[in-house]
Amino acid sequence: MSEITQVNHTEKKAFLVKSSSLKEVRIFCRDVFAKLQIDQGLKDELVLAIAEAAQNIVKHAYKDSPNQDELMVVKISCEGNKLEIAFYDMGTPVDPKKVKHREIDNVKPGGLGTFFIQEIMDAVEFKDGKKPWINHLVLTKQL
Amino acid sequence: MSYKVTEEGNITTIHLDGEIDMDVTEAAKEKIFPHIDAGKVVHLNLSNVQYMDSSGISVLIESHQKALEKNTKVIIKDVSKSVLKVIMMAKLEQILNLE
Repeated sequence: MSEITQVNHTEKKAFLVKSSSLKEVRIFCRDVFAKLQIDQGLKDELVLAIAEAAQNIVKHAYKDSPNQDELMVVKISCEGNKLEIAFYDMGTPVDPKKVKHREIDNVKPGGLGTFFIQEIMDAVEFKDGKKPWINHLVLTKQL
Repeated sequence: MSYKVTEEGNITTIHLDGEIDMDVTEAAKEKIFPHIDAGKVVHLNLSNVQYMDSSGISVLIESHQKALEKNTKVIIKDVSKSVLKVIMMAKLEQILNLE
């Protein structure tokens, strides 16, 4: 359990949808979590979960229409002890029923990103994206 | 990601440095796989890798499985605490050769 000194805080940033943006996503998250004084262990886990969700957007949301100018937005909000991370993109609509991780005992490359997100976060929810966004993913964690 | 390769007999030691994510996995495979294909025992030193995501974990799994096919092995050495945590989250600490 982390002690949050800055109880209400929101920051968001847009990133190009490409694999080289993932490092920028991590830098953004680490910066926000440092302001929130989240301890290192939890910070590492949250950064991994966020980076995995961003990676899923890069890998899946735009696979049918790769466009170098497409943007995704990551928004981190902390109210009291509730941390909410929202992702917005304009890629192919995600069918939540099809978002599954592989069986963890069936060891093979791939399929772990969604597992990590679910392990780390308390809740993972796909909401209807409001225009201009198509997908709106929300991850929450009680701190 | 940067890297350094040293060879001694049948052992190739590959030191990876930096953060291993989707953006660098192909480069990591290009550094690792040829040594496995050549039948070398590969020591993968991760002491300077502080971050690894699911793509990096996939490289470790793929390297391990490729080595089994080639009757050799990949030994992951000096893994950092933060990367070990991710390996353990994936329940791979008993599958991969960790030293």
